[in-house]
Amino acid sequence: MDDDATNPFRRMSSRTRKVAPKMVAALASSDNRTQAALARLEALENDNAGVEVVENIDDEDASLDDDDQAYIQKRQSKGTKRKTRQAKALEAKKAPKTFMELLHEANLESLPSHVPSYSKAAVGPPSSTSRRHFCTVCGFAASYTCIRCGIRFCSSRCQNIHNDTRCLKFVA
Amino acid sequence: MSNVVVLDNGGGLLKAGLGGDLDPSVIIPNCLYRPLSAKKWLHPSPISISTADAATEAPSDLDLTSASVRRPIDRGYLINPDLQRDIWSHLFTSLLHVNPSNSSLLLTEPLFTLPSIQHATDEIVFEDFNFASLYVSDSPSLVHFYEASRRPTSLLSRAQCSLVVDCGFSFTHAAPVFQNFTLNYAVKRIDLGGKALTNYLKELVSYRALNVMDETFIMDDVKEKLCFVSLNVPRDLQIARKPGKENLFRCTYVLPDGISYTRGFVKNPDDAKRYLSLTDEVSSPSLGVKKDVIELDVSEKTEDRKRIDLTKNEFDLTNERFLVPEMIFHPADLGMNQAGLAECIVRAVNSCHPHLHPVLYESIVLTGGSTLFHNFAERLEKELRPLVPDECQVKITTQEDPILGAWRGGSLLASSPSFEAMCVTKAEYEELGSVRCRKRFLH
Ligand SMILES: [Zn+2]
Ligand SMILES: [Zn+2]
Repeated sequence: MDDDATNPFRRMSSRTRKVAPKMVAALASSDNRTQAALARLEALENDNAGVEVVENIDDEDASLDDDDQAYIQKRQSKGTKRKTRQAKALEAKKAPKTFMELLHEANLESLPSHVPSYSKAAVGPPSSTSRRHFCTVCGFAASYTCIRCGIRFCSSRCQNIHNDTRCLKFVA
Repeated sequence: MSNVVVLDNGGGLLKAGLGGDLDPSVIIPNCLYRPLSAKKWLHPSPISISTADAATEAPSDLDLTSASVRRPIDRGYLINPDLQRDIWSHLFTSLLHVNPSNSSLLLTEPLFTLPSIQHATDEIVFEDFNFASLYVSDSPSLVHFYEASRRPTSLLSRAQCSLVVDCGFSFTHAAPVFQNFTLNYAVKRIDLGGKALTNYLKELVSYRALNVMDETFIMDDVKEKLCFVSLNVPRDLQIARKPGKENLFRCTYVLPDGISYTRGFVKNPDDAKRYLSLTDEVSSPSLGVKKDVIELDVSEKTEDRKRIDLTKNEFDLTNERFLVPEMIFHPADLGMNQAGLAECIVRAVNSCHPHLHPVLYESIVLTGGSTLFHNFAERLEKELRPLVPDECQVKITTQEDPILGAWRGGSLLASSPSFEAMCVTKAEYEELGSVRCRKRFLH
């Protein structure tokens, strides 16, 4: 997992910090493509695009050092601010749990099998396994798969765009 | 008699008003946002009722370009009670002007809400706001209740049974309702709703045209104005590749520039409507056959490339318009290991007593904002018919206003004579606690 807590003095941009350990794990994993696919689905439930962005909720109290200031200026055009590690750590403590965490705590597996629950209401896998493939770059039927991340594309033109812009994005 | 505040607390939109009214008096996004120009998180301004169909916001000067958003609800469920309390406080005090301590509250809650979340909700209702009493209901049973009283001679009303398909912001449920109660053992859920659709549209546009990953509010507008459900995906993919006027789907959306206009808009609304001329008649080769054709079609690819102009504050849409809502029908296309809507409905029906099957298939009600896409019901019927036994009729009803259906049912229920007896009072809550009070709301 994130080794930040054990190494409070390491200085890297937020993005690098968050991405790096996961990237390492992903590359080491034999099932990179599955991981990329899951991360992509996960991203569909995000409120704000940058998963690595920590929102500055109480604007006044953030203490900023030089590196962060510089980073803020870089990010300002995108409307997000950065906090110091300490401020982030404080915030993480009072941050609400995600639904997945609450679900885990609810321990629905311990319910008797006849009791309806969130988990049992999931529709389940489709009966037919025929999955249609659309090119993630242009949207048309895609017959090729990226060997690194498993995402589909239709042509070498779209493959190039994929490699330049989005390949492994969702592994991160 | 005291007021009943009826609150349909959706993950996307919050609908609120007084029981007995025809429509909610306030519709507001259930979030705080922070536009680039603002230093603080702001309460969104209410959406005007008359335009609720298109879910457009009342005119405001606020430019929501790259605004960040905070929502109290994640995957349909309340995860941030503090934030929800802020939003409700603003709602009750500044928008509804009600005094909770002499009001009852009828609150919608998603199916299968975890006990810890129910507990947190009860605390806000009774301890923070001091409501006199509370009744908790779910959207499918309220939608059924509304439809049953609106159409008293329908089969739905006579049999007291329907299958409510609620495709909202956070997820999609196929929920059988019998005698005004949702049969929760038979409910089936797809983990896709309007939020995921908007995010998918952002993803598609960002890789094909320009980066709109931060534009939640703008892309919601694009989705609502331009997306539709295809009745023939292989055919429509072909049409979407055609150049010039033959391409019935190509249209342009102009982003706000922050100077002359603070909201985005569709460039040529008439062009955007050309797809309506398509009928369901034309058949086309299957997707499998078409692959080869597409790969050889080099000229079209350069054409495709040309429309990507990063210097312009506008972008074109073609196949994105129907590939986005397509997810609800085929989540597997996205790599999601979940059945599509038609199968979801069949599984919900099959979990009910066989005597109910014919009635359920004949009384399907569509509700929720994500059912507003053009051709949604037609496509669903087309996919559902082959999966349903021949002796059953398939009849799908679209709600008059799918965003307000649950609220209107709640308003009716709140004004019924039996309502008061169904509520849990503050005194009962204090005496019995959350868990025992909650049992009251079950059958
Ligand atoms: Zn392509
Ligand atoms: Zn790749």
